[in-house]
Amino acid sequence: MSQLPGLFDVRVQARSLAYLFATGATLGLLTLVFPHADEVRDSALIILAATAYVIAAIIWIRADRVREWQIRVVLLAGTVIISLANYYAGPPTLYPLLYMWTALYAFYFFPLREALAQLAFLAVAYAVVLAVQSPDSVIVRWLLAVGTPAVAGLLISRLLGRLDEHARDVQESEERMRLVLDAAPDAFITLDRDGYITNWNSAAERLFGWTEREALGKTMRDLIVPDEFGDRHEERRLALVASEGPFSTTRFDVEFTHRSGSRFPGEATVSKVETGGEVFVSGFIRDVTERLRRQAEREALLREQAARAEAERMAGLVGGMQALVDAALAHRGLDAILRDLVTRVRGVLDAGTATIYLADEAGGLTTGASAPGDHPEGDEFAARVAASREATLGRGDTLVGVPLLAEGEVTAVLVAGAEPSRVFTGEDLTLLRLAAERVGLAIAHARVYEREHRIAETLQRSLLPERLPDLPGLEVAARYLPAASEAEVGGDWYDVIPIAGGAVGLVMGDVAGKGLAGASMVGRLRSALRAYALEGHDAGRVVERLNRLLWTEAEDTQMATMLYVIVDPAASTVRWVNAGHPPPLVVADGEVSFLQGEASVPLGVLPFPTYDETTAPLEPGSSLLLYTDGLVERPGEHLDDGLAQLAARVAEAPQDPQGLLDHLLGTLVPSEGAADDVALLTLHNMPVPDRFAIDFPAEPDALATVRSMLRRWLAHAGADELEVAEIITACGEAATNAIEHAGTGNGARFEVSGSREGRAIEIAIRDSGAWRPEREDDHGRGLELMRTLMDDVAIDPAAEGTTVSLRRTLGQHERAR
Amino acid sequence: MIDDLISVDIEERGEVVVVALAGELDISVAAPTGRRIADAVPSSARGVVVDMSGLDFMDSSGVSMLFSLARQVGSHRQELHIVAPPGRPVSRVLEIVEFGRAAPVHTDLDTAVAEVARPRGSQPPPG
Repeated sequence: MSQLPGLFDVRVQARSLAYLFATGATLGLLTLVFPHADEVRDSALIILAATAYVIAAIIWIRADRVREWQIRVVLLAGTVIISLANYYAGPPTLYPLLYMWTALYAFYFFPLREALAQLAFLAVAYAVVLAVQSPDSVIVRWLLAVGTPAVAGLLISRLLGRLDEHARDVQESEERMRLVLDAAPDAFITLDRDGYITNWNSAAERLFGWTEREALGKTMRDLIVPDEFGDRHEERRLALVASEGPFSTTRFDVEFTHRSGSRFPGEATVSKVETGGEVFVSGFIRDVTERLRRQAEREALLREQAARAEAERMAGLVGGMQALVDAALAHRGLDAILRDLVTRVRGVLDAGTATIYLADEAGGLTTGASAPGDHPEGDEFAARVAASREATLGRGDTLVGVPLLAEGEVTAVLVAGAEPSRVFTGEDLTLLRLAAERVGLAIAHARVYEREHRIAETLQRSLLPERLPDLPGLEVAARYLPAASEAEVGGDWYDVIPIAGGAVGLVMGDVAGKGLAGASMVGRLRSALRAYALEGHDAGRVVERLNRLLWTEAEDTQMATMLYVIVDPAASTVRWVNAGHPPPLVVADGEVSFLQGEASVPLGVLPFPTYDETTAPLEPGSSLLLYTDGLVERPGEHLDDGLAQLAARVAEAPQDPQGLLDHLLGTLVPSEGAADDVALLTLHNMPVPDRFAIDFPAEPDALATVRSMLRRWLAHAGADELEVAEIITACGEAATNAIEHAGTGNGARFEVSGSREGRAIEIAIRDSGAWRPEREDDHGRGLELMRTLMDDVAIDPAAEGTTVSLRRTLGQHERAR
Repeated sequence: MIDDLISVDIEERGEVVVVALAGELDISVAAPTGRRIADAVPSSARGVVVDMSGLDFMDSSGVSMLFSLARQVGSHRQELHIVAPPGRPVSRVLEIVEFGRAAPVHTDLDTAVAEVARPRGSQPPPG
């Protein structure tokens, strides 16, 4: 029994032996249970059976690790046990025992026919021995005890020898197979039903780094399947084992682990093989690293070719897109951006029409710009694009639209319509979409900017005097030209403030802050200046107070330049304070000159600067011009050049204020608009005539103007300060009566006329109402004042109106006292 | 109140309200100016001084306003005093209409304030 069939590995042999031992021991014990001969030594058999059980248990437990020589020892032990059992049990009992054990053995190892033949032969042999010999003889007993197993073993070993031959054939074929498999370039592995490796060729050794000896009896999970794929491997293996049909091949790509721990991609071709009821799984495994690398190379090459083609396509796309993006960045004004954008979209897409629709706050869309005009279905399509928020082709690909987003909101929709017999492609869509991503924000910014600009401009305009005051003997005109939309709204402002006593304050200023902040600062400065001026402060103090305001209240370092000029027509002088502003300009007798005087720092620069007043004559017939630097400053040009040019333009301009300003704006401001705000204010000190007649609205507000006009006229006629005050008080009473007579709000007017002959003054106030000697609550004080203050008061209550004539000769102060 | 024509500056000096007028006072601003002054005098005040030093012009409507102010102040047992420096158009007008009959006219502010603030005991009998 030295040669065991090679079909069975040591493990199977060990387990088989364990079965045999256990079965033999059980049979031996059964002979004791049933009736048996007296000479049978029960205790000996029990000990033998127990020994057989122990050996069976050990060999079963150690089946996986048992060595071949250990099996041989066990077989030897088995033979000894059976021999002893034969001796102690005696032939009558022994016979069936041995027969059954051998039968089991035979049926276990041999095909049915051979097993039956062997058992038949054994039966005959025992029958002969029992018939011939007396079983009571000690010799016979020993012969039977030792001989029977020997004969059985001999027979069995002969049979096994034949089997072994067959096994060797099988082994040789296996060996050949193994050689073939070892020569195979791919790893070949077989697994038994339970997943234990039963074959491991040399390619497998090379591929995985485990030797055949190490691999056999292990599972693939133990050695070569990465942990994370373990479960999948097991699932797949079980599915394969359970699969129907005798033969099936599956191929799959999996990752394997080398002994060193490195991973590599593999391709496994596995089959389920059934031979003689045994189920195996066999598989070829190949390292596909190289194949994958070549494949990757090939793919890379293909990709590169595709990329080059794509790059060329993109170059076209990017070129077009850049043209669109440039349109958004080339301008600052919204209108300019939109106009340029649609023109370029039309060019880049070779489209018939291009329109940009702007979303308003309510979510509606309005046309921002089109080239050359809207597509008839454009707005409807744009609404759809806005709703979907996706670049879209529409109307049989003849319309393409893309939403412009800013902070997630659709702010505009760009729509292009194809030329007849042309359609848009996905390429056009992509181009427009890419451009929209970049243009969207620029447009959103421009819109916000534009809105703020508009608010600031409105605010600023609201701060400029709506209507210049009517100043008798003085003609004023002003212009305010906001910068073209590319620039911020500036902080330019001007004002004309009638000052008590007949003077008039002219203000021209420029707050450095732009936009809303600048405009609101202008508002504060303007009202503060009006208040200070009215409180009767002189020009220097007014400007000092404004400086305090700016210094203490303005944010950061807000600064303003300013000119404050007080024109006193009665004295024919100007007094002015210059806080860092370009100098005012005077035209007298056709000569143009700048008023150079005390110049000081702009407002908001120092906490306590001194602003000194300078005085210069302003004769009747002369003009004064105030302006902001937007008129004289041009990029790259020296300020002196700008001033010289201004002087030249003023010299050639017409005399009247409106004509002068129009001429300056026409010649000094570029046609595309000023880069900065321009404010202009001019005052013409009209020549004082000896006689005059001026119409006024019959409103209380006209009184101040009447007084101011009379002051100037009287001063020119040579009246001193007190005379002026007294005469205008008297005239004021007469004018107040005239207004009262007319009643308010009915568009009535009254006339003031004056004449002088030497030092004799006559002023007449004529209204269209009926004379009433006393005003309500007046108690005749008006008339009393007139009579006291004037030499003569004549009242002519005619039907068409009343005329009050007041006469006084100058230079007679003692008269009334 | 700040109008194009006139500014009204109100200051309380203890029990005396000082109202400084500047600019021009004619019929277009007289009534609101009068109301503004009357409203500025609390019942606890001893009196009001209207300082007309800064006033460049005043006509009869301004005078009427002052007369009616004097009546109102008097009805609350308070005093009205006027400051008008001499040689100015306003003092001339006040002279002509003999406003001194209605309320004392002073030439400087401090005298007027001191007059209003003086102890009641030395107050001369009314009229």
